[in-house]
Amino acid sequence: MRQVIKFKIKRFDPMGAEGNAPYWQAYNVKLDHGMTVLEALLKIEKNDDPTLSFRRSCRSAICGSCAIMINGTSKLACHTQIAPEFEKHGEMVIGPLDNYQVLKDMIVDFTPFWMKMERVKPYLVPKKEPKGGWVITNEDTKVIDASQKCIMCGSCNGACNSQEIDEGYIGPSASAKAWRFVGDIREGDKRLRLDRISQEHGIWDCVRCVSCTEVCPKDVAPMTAIEKLREEALAEGLDDNPGAKHALALVDSVKRVGRLDEATMTFKTLGFLRSLGMIPFGLKMQMHGKMPHPILFPAIGKLDEVRGIYKARERQRKNERKKKG
Amino acid sequence: MVIHDVIVIGAGLAGMRAAVELAEAGLDVAIVTKVHPIRSHSVAAQGGINAAMNKADSWKDHMYDTAKGSDFLGDQDAIEVLCKEAPENIKELERMGAIFNRDDKGNIAQRAFGGAGYARTCYLADRTGHSMLHIIFEQVIARGICRYNEWHVVEVIVEDGVARGVIAIELLTGKLHRLHAKAVLLATGGYGRVFSASTNALSSTGDGMSLALRAGAPLMDMEFVQFHPTTLKRTGILMTEGARGEGGYLINANGDRFMHKYAPNKLELASRDVVSRAEQEEIDAGFGDDGCVFLDLRHLGEKKISEKLPQIRDLAIKFEGVDPVKDPIPVKPGAHYSMGGIMTDIDGKTPIKGLFAAGESACLSVHGANRLGGNSLLEAVVFGRRVGRGVAKFAKTAKLYPFPEDALKNAAHGIALLMNREVGESASKIVDGVRKAMQKHCGIYRDKKSLEEGLAKVRQLAAKLDEIALVDTGDIFNTEMINVLELGHIVEISEAMLLGALNREESRGSHSRSDFPTRDDENWLKHTLVYLEDGKFRVDYKGVSITRFQPEERKY
Amino acid sequence: MALNYAYYPGCASQEITKEANKTTRKVAKILGIGLHEMPDANCCGAGLMTDYDRKLWLTLNARIFAQAEAMGMDIMTICSTCLMVMNTANKELRDDPVLLKEVNDLMAKGVAKGSEAALCYSGKVEIKQLLWVLAGEYGLEKLKAKVKRPLSWLKAAPFYGCHTLRPSDALGFDDPEKPWSLEAVIKALGGEVVDYKGKTRCCGFQVDLVAPDTAVSMTAKRLLDAKDMGADCMVTPCPFCHINLDNYQGMAEKKVARKISLPIFHLPQLVGLALGLNEAEMGLDRHMVSPESALNK
Repeated sequence: MRQVIKFKIKRFDPMGAEGNAPYWQAYNVKLDHGMTVLEALLKIEKNDDPTLSFRRSCRSAICGSCAIMINGTSKLACHTQIAPEFEKHGEMVIGPLDNYQVLKDMIVDFTPFWMKMERVKPYLVPKKEPKGGWVITNEDTKVIDASQKCIMCGSCNGACNSQEIDEGYIGPSASAKAWRFVGDIREGDKRLRLDRISQEHGIWDCVRCVSCTEVCPKDVAPMTAIEKLREEALAEGLDDNPGAKHALALVDSVKRVGRLDEATMTFKTLGFLRSLGMIPFGLKMQMHGKMPHPILFPAIGKLDEVRGIYKARERQRKNERKKKG
Repeated sequence: MVIHDVIVIGAGLAGMRAAVELAEAGLDVAIVTKVHPIRSHSVAAQGGINAAMNKADSWKDHMYDTAKGSDFLGDQDAIEVLCKEAPENIKELERMGAIFNRDDKGNIAQRAFGGAGYARTCYLADRTGHSMLHIIFEQVIARGICRYNEWHVVEVIVEDGVARGVIAIELLTGKLHRLHAKAVLLATGGYGRVFSASTNALSSTGDGMSLALRAGAPLMDMEFVQFHPTTLKRTGILMTEGARGEGGYLINANGDRFMHKYAPNKLELASRDVVSRAEQEEIDAGFGDDGCVFLDLRHLGEKKISEKLPQIRDLAIKFEGVDPVKDPIPVKPGAHYSMGGIMTDIDGKTPIKGLFAAGESACLSVHGANRLGGNSLLEAVVFGRRVGRGVAKFAKTAKLYPFPEDALKNAAHGIALLMNREVGESASKIVDGVRKAMQKHCGIYRDKKSLEEGLAKVRQLAAKLDEIALVDTGDIFNTEMINVLELGHIVEISEAMLLGALNREESRGSHSRSDFPTRDDENWLKHTLVYLEDGKFRVDYKGVSITRFQPEERKY
Repeated sequence: MALNYAYYPGCASQEITKEANKTTRKVAKILGIGLHEMPDANCCGAGLMTDYDRKLWLTLNARIFAQAEAMGMDIMTICSTCLMVMNTANKELRDDPVLLKEVNDLMAKGVAKGSEAALCYSGKVEIKQLLWVLAGEYGLEKLKAKVKRPLSWLKAAPFYGCHTLRPSDALGFDDPEKPWSLEAVIKALGGEVVDYKGKTRCCGFQVDLVAPDTAVSMTAKRLLDAKDMGADCMVTPCPFCHINLDNYQGMAEKKVARKISLPIFHLPQLVGLALGLNEAEMGLDRHMVSPESALNK
C-alpha cells in the first residue's frame, strides 16, 4: 500500500471568500516512488483543488519557477523529494517564499527581486576587445563559474536574514549577479557597479548568516560572491563606508596585536564623531567590566609570525596586481 | 490599448534575440510572455550549440550533416544560412558576455554530438541553454525592452489578411488587454506537452502554432517529433546527448552495448531518431529493464562527470536516485523537440502580412524530419537575429492598420463563457486523454490503424472543449483557466500531427510507419501543410529546397 | 578515553565575553575534558578578513591549524563565528591541494624570519565547538550523569544563530533545517526547551556598526520571538550572539518600545548552572540583563 501524506498548504487569495488573510488547507497525497513536491502539487491541482496556484515550468531545476517554503526552508518544489523530506520533518508544511509579498497562494511578487537585479547593471559592459579577439581560459572564468549557475529562483532572497529586516537590501541574488560581471576579465565598468553596491543597503549590509549559500539549489554560493565583491571593492579603494572600514579595522587589528580589538575597531569603523555617540553605551558596558582596555590590549604570542605572513602576502598581492595590469 | 511597433510573443532564445535586433533597429518592441523570460524552456537546453569553428571543419560539412540528419526533408537554402552564420553568431554571443568552455589553448572547446562528422558543439558544461538564455535576457534588460511578463496571449488578431496585434490576459489581474502593432512575431517554442512523457517544460504546449493556425497561417511538418534517446525513466527529464558526446555508452539490461547492431560507425552518436528506435527495438526484443535501457557513464570517472556533466549527475541523483559515477542511469526515448511548426520563409514570414515566426515554433525548415543535437540553440540565435532584422525592415515601412473594434469584446465573451459555465467537463481529464492518445498512437512507431484510432479519440475529446467548466472562477492567477487555454492548443496541434502522420505513408527521420518502413522520395519528398479553415483541417503539400546535397541513403 | 583539545576561545571571549571563557574552563574541568592553551594562536578573521584578502585569511587560519596539528589535537572553540570561519577555511584547504600548498608556502615565507620552527599544515585537524563536543564526543548521557542541579524550573529558548549551522557542507555536525543539538543539551541538563521561529536566524552582530538599524531590529525580533513563546531565558553557543542579545537588549527594547528583560546565557553557563557552579564563578554579574529571574531562587 502506498503511503498517504498530508500536505498542509498555506493559502491566500486577496479576492477569496476567506477575505484578505492567509489560511491553512490540508490535502492528502498518495505517495509514488520518487515523487517530488511539485508532482504532489500538480496532483492536488488535478485531483483535489484546481484553485491552488503555484508557478511551474521545467520541473527539472533549471527554470527557477517553483521556489517555495517547504517545512520552513526555501526550496525548489521540483527538486525536493517528498520521502526524505517527510522522514526528516515528520510533516509537509508548504507555503509561499518568505520575504516576498504574496499575490496568491504560492505565487509571490518578484518585482522587487528584478528591480534589485537591475540595480547591479546585470549585463556585460565590455572593455575594448584586444586585437584578434579575446583569449579566455577556463581558469579565467573559474572565479565566476558558481555565480553563473544562478537560475534566479529567488530562494536565497527568501532565506536572507538581512532582507527579512531591510526590504531595500540588495540581497544575495543580485549580489551574485553583480559578481558574475565584476569577476569577468572582459568587464569594463566594474567600478561603477562596485560603487553602487558599496552604498547603504548594499553588500556591506550582509549579516553573513550564510542562509543564501545554504538554501541555493544550484550551488551558487551567493555569500562567497558577496565576499569577493567586498574584496574587489576594497582593492578598488572604495573604502569610505562603515562596512569597509570595519573590515579594514579588523585586518589592521590582527596585524597589530594578532587578534580582534573591539574598542579600536569601533572607533575606526564609526570615526571620532559617531564613536562619541557610543560613549554612554560604552560606560554602561564598562560598569559590567565589558569594555576591553583601549591601550593595554594584550598581543598574542609570536606576533612576528603573523606580521611576517602579512608582509609575504602583501608582496605577493603587489605582484599579482602588476600581472593583472 | 497599448501600441508598439512590434510585438514578440514568447521570451525564449529566439524571441528575445529577435527583440534585441528590433530594439537595435530603433523600433519600439514589446515582449509578451506567459512565464518570466528566464523561465522559458530554452533555459533547459543542456548539451550545446553547433558551429564549424575549426579550420578542419567547414560550414558545408555542417550543412551536409544537418541535411542528412533531416533525412533530406530540411530546406537546404535555410540550412545553408544556419550553418554559414553559425560561427559569427557564437562570437557575437561571446561579445555579449557568454562564456563557453575552453580548450588548453584558450579556444572555444567543442564536443562531439550525434550525427555530426566533426566535434563542433560549443558548450558550457551541461547548461548551455541556461547560459545563452540569461545572456540574451541581459541584452534585453540593457536595451530597456518593454516586457509583459506573465501575460498569456489568447488571440492573434488578423483582419483582411493583415496582423493587427494580439489580445492577452494578464495573469495577475485576469484582465484582457489589447496590444496593437504593425507586426507580430511568434516565438513560443515547441509542443512536447501534447505527449504524457516529454522532456519539455510544462509550459511547452505549442500555443503560438495553434494561435497562428487559428489566424489562418498553415503549420508545416507537424508529424515530425523528435524522441530523445536519453530521458530519465520516471520523469522523462532530459539527459543531454553531451553525455554520449563525452564518451557515455548505452547498454541493455544484460549490460551489453548494442548500438553496433544499428549504427556500426557512429554507434551511440548516430542521429537521435536512429538511436531512439534502436533502444525501442532492444526493449521490444526483451533486452530492456522495465521499459528502459541504460546510459552508462561510469567509465568516464568522477572527475570528468563532475566537470563536464555536473547537472546530469545532480538530476540523476535527485530525480532517479542513481549516481552515474557508481551506476548506469535508466533511460528511455521521450518526446523532446518539435521539428514541425508555423510555416515560414527563410526570413520568418508567414503567408499572413505582418505575422512572423521564429525558433522552435517556426518551421523554415532547417531540421526536416529529424533535428541534430546542437542545432536547436543555433536555430534560435541565427534565425532569431535574422528574423528580427527581417521584421525590423518590414515594420519600418509598414503602416499601422486599425485594431478591429469588436476583437476585445469577442475574446472577453469567449473567456466569460468558460468562466460562467457552472457544470461541465473537467479539463484535466480531457488533457490526460489527449496526452495518453498521443503517446499511444503517435509515438516512435506508427501505423494506419493506430493513427486512425488516435485521431478518433482526439476528435472525440476535442468535441468536449466547449463543455468545460472551471472550479476556479477567480481573477488572480487563475492557473486552471490557463490550463484550459493551453488544452485548446494541445488538442488542435494533436489533430494536425495525427493528420500529417496518417497521410505520410513512408518512414522518414523521426516519423516511422511500421506499415511503410522505407523512405519514399518519389512520393513523399515534400512538406506537409495543415490549414484550419472554418473549423476544419485541410492538408496540403509543398516542395523541399534542395541545393547542394541530393538525397541519399542515410547510414550511421 | 579522555578528551583533549587545543582550546581556541576566540577573541571575543578573551575580552568582552570573558565570562564564557572562564566558565568553559571550569565546566571542562568538572567534566574531565582537557583544554590545552594555544597562546600563539591568531584571530581567525572573524568573517571579515575574507572581505579583504582571501589568501591572507586562509594562511592565517592555516597557522592556527598547524599549531593544533603540532599539538596533536583537534581544536575546540566556544565561538560559533570562529567555528564557521575556521571550518570554511579548512574545507577550502582540504578540497584543493594546490591551494593548500600555496598557503603553506606563503606561511613558510612569512614565518621564516620570525620563528625557529617551520609551520606546515597537512589538513588533518578538525575544528569543533563546545556544543558539538557535549552533544557528540562527550555524549549526552554522560553529561546527564554529571548534572547536580537539574534545571527543571527553566524554560530555555535555544539560540543557534547562524554559524553553528551554516554552511552545513563545511560544518556538518548539525542540520540547519532541523537542528537538535542545543535542545538535546538543554534537555540533558533537565531544562525545558522552548521552540520558536528565530532560533536558527541571525542576531545581527555582523552589522552592529555597519547597519545599526537592521542589527537592532534583528536582535529585537529574535528576543521577542523567544519571549512570546514563553521562554524564561535564551541560551546561545556563540559569544557574538550573546553580545547582541544581552548587551544590546536595551537598544532592542527601545527600538520596539517594549520591555523584554530576557536573560541570555552562554552555553557553558547553562551547563555550569546544572553542574552546580555559582553565579560569581560563571561571571553572571557581567551580563547587562540580570539573570536573576531565571535562577530559581
